[in-house]
Amino acid sequence: MSTSTAAQAPSVSRRTSTPMAASTVSMRWNWFLLALTAVVGALLPFILTPAELSVAMRVIIFALMGIGWNMMSGFGGMFSFGHAAYFGIGAYTTAFLLLDVGMSPWLGMIVGMAVATAAAVGISYLALRYKVKGAYYALSTFAFAEMLRLFVMGNDGLHRTLGFTVPVLQGDNWGMFQFSADSPNYFWIGTGFLLVALIVSMVFLRSRAGRFTIATRDDEMAAAAIGIPVLRHKLTVTAISAAITAAAGTLYLQFYMFVDPEIAFGHAVSNNAIITAVLGGVGMLWGPLVGAIIVAPLSDLVAALLRNPPEWLALLSGQSGLDIVIYAVILIACVLVLPKGIVGTIVTRSRK
Amino acid sequence: MAQSPAASLTPSAPAPNAEAPARPKRTYNGPSPRTLLVTLAMVVTASVLAGVVSGSVTVLFQALITGLLTGGIYSLIAMGLTLVYGVLHIINFANGAMVALSMFLTYAAVSGLGLHPYMALLITVPAMFVLGAAVQGTLLNPIMKAPIHTQLLVTIGLALAIENLLLMIFGPTPLSVELPGDHGVSFLGASVDLSRIYAFIGALVLVALLWLVLHKTRIGTAIRSVAASPEGSRLVGIDVKLIYVLTFGLGAAATAAAGTFVSTFTTIEPTAGSVFNLTAFVVVVLGGMGNVPGALVGGLVVGLTEQLGGLIFPGQSPLLTVFVVFLIVLFAKPQGIFGRAS
Amino acid sequence: MKKEEGTVKAATKLILVPTVAASLLALVGCQGSAALGGDHPDDTAKEVVIGSLHPLSGANAADGQQMSFAAQMAVDEINEAGGIESLDGAPLRIESVDTKSEPETAQSEATRLIQEGASALIGSFESGPSANISSVSERNEVPFVMDVAALDSILQQGYKYSFRIQPSGSMMGESSAEYLDQMTKDSGEDVTKVGVLYEQGNYGTAVEKAFANRIEELGMEVPSAISYDPASSDLSTQVQQAVAGGVDVLAVTGYYRDSLLISQAISSIAPEVKAVYGVANGGFDQTQFIDDAPNGGAGYLNANYRLDVTDDRARALSARFDKGFGAPMRASAALSYDAVNVIAEAVEEAASADPQMIRDAISHSDYEPVVVNDGRIDFDETGQNSHAAVSVLQVKDGAIRTVFPNDLAETVYTFPAPPTSAQN
Repeated sequence: MSTSTAAQAPSVSRRTSTPMAASTVSMRWNWFLLALTAVVGALLPFILTPAELSVAMRVIIFALMGIGWNMMSGFGGMFSFGHAAYFGIGAYTTAFLLLDVGMSPWLGMIVGMAVATAAAVGISYLALRYKVKGAYYALSTFAFAEMLRLFVMGNDGLHRTLGFTVPVLQGDNWGMFQFSADSPNYFWIGTGFLLVALIVSMVFLRSRAGRFTIATRDDEMAAAAIGIPVLRHKLTVTAISAAITAAAGTLYLQFYMFVDPEIAFGHAVSNNAIITAVLGGVGMLWGPLVGAIIVAPLSDLVAALLRNPPEWLALLSGQSGLDIVIYAVILIACVLVLPKGIVGTIVTRSRK
Repeated sequence: MAQSPAASLTPSAPAPNAEAPARPKRTYNGPSPRTLLVTLAMVVTASVLAGVVSGSVTVLFQALITGLLTGGIYSLIAMGLTLVYGVLHIINFANGAMVALSMFLTYAAVSGLGLHPYMALLITVPAMFVLGAAVQGTLLNPIMKAPIHTQLLVTIGLALAIENLLLMIFGPTPLSVELPGDHGVSFLGASVDLSRIYAFIGALVLVALLWLVLHKTRIGTAIRSVAASPEGSRLVGIDVKLIYVLTFGLGAAATAAAGTFVSTFTTIEPTAGSVFNLTAFVVVVLGGMGNVPGALVGGLVVGLTEQLGGLIFPGQSPLLTVFVVFLIVLFAKPQGIFGRAS
Repeated sequence: MKKEEGTVKAATKLILVPTVAASLLALVGCQGSAALGGDHPDDTAKEVVIGSLHPLSGANAADGQQMSFAAQMAVDEINEAGGIESLDGAPLRIESVDTKSEPETAQSEATRLIQEGASALIGSFESGPSANISSVSERNEVPFVMDVAALDSILQQGYKYSFRIQPSGSMMGESSAEYLDQMTKDSGEDVTKVGVLYEQGNYGTAVEKAFANRIEELGMEVPSAISYDPASSDLSTQVQQAVAGGVDVLAVTGYYRDSLLISQAISSIAPEVKAVYGVANGGFDQTQFIDDAPNGGAGYLNANYRLDVTDDRARALSARFDKGFGAPMRASAALSYDAVNVIAEAVEEAASADPQMIRDAISHSDYEPVVVNDGRIDFDETGQNSHAAVSVLQVKDGAIRTVFPNDLAETVYTFPAPPTSAQN
């Protein structure tokens, strides 16, 4: 049984995706979609109400987390069950440097991305070096995230369980990455992050390294046999993944202005990254963004639906938990109907 | 440190280890004598260290006994998880929610029908078997060919749905089930409740039962065959999908037993099962995914590590040691302490 | 899967999912535009909306649902009594939402409530979501009255729109220490060593720090302060650690589930302590604790915020709540009831639904709460109710009684009250 476990990872990913479709066949499509994202991102703050914009921010943060996860797990073929680690490192490094050192969150973000990258490369190197594979690898990433959460909870310098609160400044302050509540700047910055993350992914996937990474994912033995430096490519994709996820952590901190061990390193974070990417399409460049557009607002949509329930639901409305049950049912239904994710299904269809 | 607690479970959990030599190739690889010696040395060191740091023999005894007993509870809860992973390669995130569901079923049976809590097993086990089989048949069988994260997503959704349905039906106020005649017993100043000892025995019995089912019945043979090779099993005429359904049902039934035992000593709330999720994953990996006796051993390792670690590193969360040990063991033995699955 | 069959199926799926998603989006679009009508309330508002944000699902749903229910009760009572007089009897309305214990949800829901015209917010039991709602309310200049949220730092940001009725974590820790000192001295008992057990989250940590410091200032010793994970399934070792070497009193800060586990461990270990003393403990003062704990929890003391049972109004409220909700009223729910009333009085005084005017009125609130308080509510410049107080409760004769300070006491306290003797 264990042998089939080990064999699972590569064979599984092969089924997942159509790697080249994203990077070569439809390059023009990608640039078009990128431009579309930029335009929509630029215009949305003028259209949405503040509450909707706050949900839209969540879409961006989810999308960044999903893109980060997708790099490592979708393209790199290493199933991460602990992306909260990198998200948390991003948020906590920024918060610590801001509050205890007085460093601007922009710099804090860079440092956070560097720390997260180092941590990701370190843990992945160990895991690959010691041949921890498949679900064992997944659970080692999960344990790593938990370990960080528990470490922060016991560390006085990181305020234990009390967390960090970002002090509110008056007005807009670009240098300190902080704006007034109804400022569209957060959303624009978030859109900027998103575009950068997407472009980085596109460029990487089109590069030699990216193609080798995907070749490695699809058949590690063959890749190694023809001389591809498997370890190096796996670590590269891990590094990119962690950096993107850490940036999402900083964005979260600056927008929500509070972070504690559970928020930063809690298991819900890892789950959200996975849900977003799986729903959109694993191993699909546009999967996480599409997934985030559905997942992030979904619970609010359901809650909104229940505030003025249709007749067939009226009987149950007012019951706490109902919205989450409906949310869960929709999630399950989506996966059952589109096991390749939304983008995955579209790409598969259009290629036939 | 890493494997230290493993040593002490050798005397305390003879059942699984005794079975190992009988079928050395097919069941699981027991630790080598060297590993045993090293771990024995480490558990003694850890215990001495814990004793010195805490400065009290009573505290140390309590930690060791509590470690073993909570370890038993962890393995009870992880049993279904490991079975499902071993055969279906599904990480069942809904395991904790299913434990909670079983706890509420126990509550309903005890308060509604006036049953003795352990008699509720007669209801919870079959009910959860049916539920588990239904989940596999309707939700998971159609996506068995999909990647592991797709199935994970379904179980995450399932967990949310179960927990919140329980909240809707039973409300938020914590409930409890009392075990008649439950009281504490003392041993060298350390003290434990009978209900926890019974749960520990329950874990042993459950391991034995599952082992018997897997190794001494035709269905068990089919399950193991599917676990080893679904394609090969199909070729020899086994209905693989049916085996999947039965396995998930069996896993759910094991989880049901866990829920009933646990309900006698903790509060019954919709989230009462998911608090075990994290440790249950660790237990499953340490024991070797799919290795039922391994889950028992893994549970004891985690239980002892948690307790001794809590003593050695005061002010830190006891679970921190568990996860550090977990990572070290994983790197040292990427297939879990006890290697391959049964 | 056969190819042809698969193509048709997938095509259907492809249409189905986006359609469902789009219709959901459309539904919310409608919601959004419907809300635009009542965007910001003017002085002649027909209805004054208060947003109530609590964890209605998840691990803290028991408190959250009670709190939401109590807020609704408060509003119903005010409306039945004629609404807001200064606004020609305008009624209040509660918009109750589930934070799901997530700061993100708290933030977007708070923003939505404000956008849809809420004049004030209450919430939210947990510190993370509360911190977020605080910053939303500050940035939108809408008052936020915290019923329960122990974390001190929420009000250390210089916020002008955030208020807290509950004593902060450090206030509770300090008062608990002082009351323990007074009670032991009054009863002529010699208490020199206090063992402390606390849950490791931000509530336990905040309370424990203040408690242990004050205990030491008062000349007692804290030989052991043991933190634990509230999700543990057995806390025997932690209890052994806390009492190792002999302590006179065992102080415990925790939630319901873990406090119950601790009481079970205490019962089987039977340590030689003079009393078990809850410090802002969320378990020892629940009616349910008496049913669930070994030996009925007899003798357990707990210093916590509480419904003022010496007050007829509070007692009547508690009875009405029990009947309506179907479970005994928790102190957290009483605080939500007070939070709504603080806002209602402020609206009355401001004669306006304008958030800023309400905020100004709240800042000099003079409301008399149903929870134990040192007189009327008095918010200091940080927004903390400086008269917030705790009282000491004890499980006596199968009921939870207020026993200290003496002017609030229903009955005299028993000290020492070892947890193992049945005759408390």
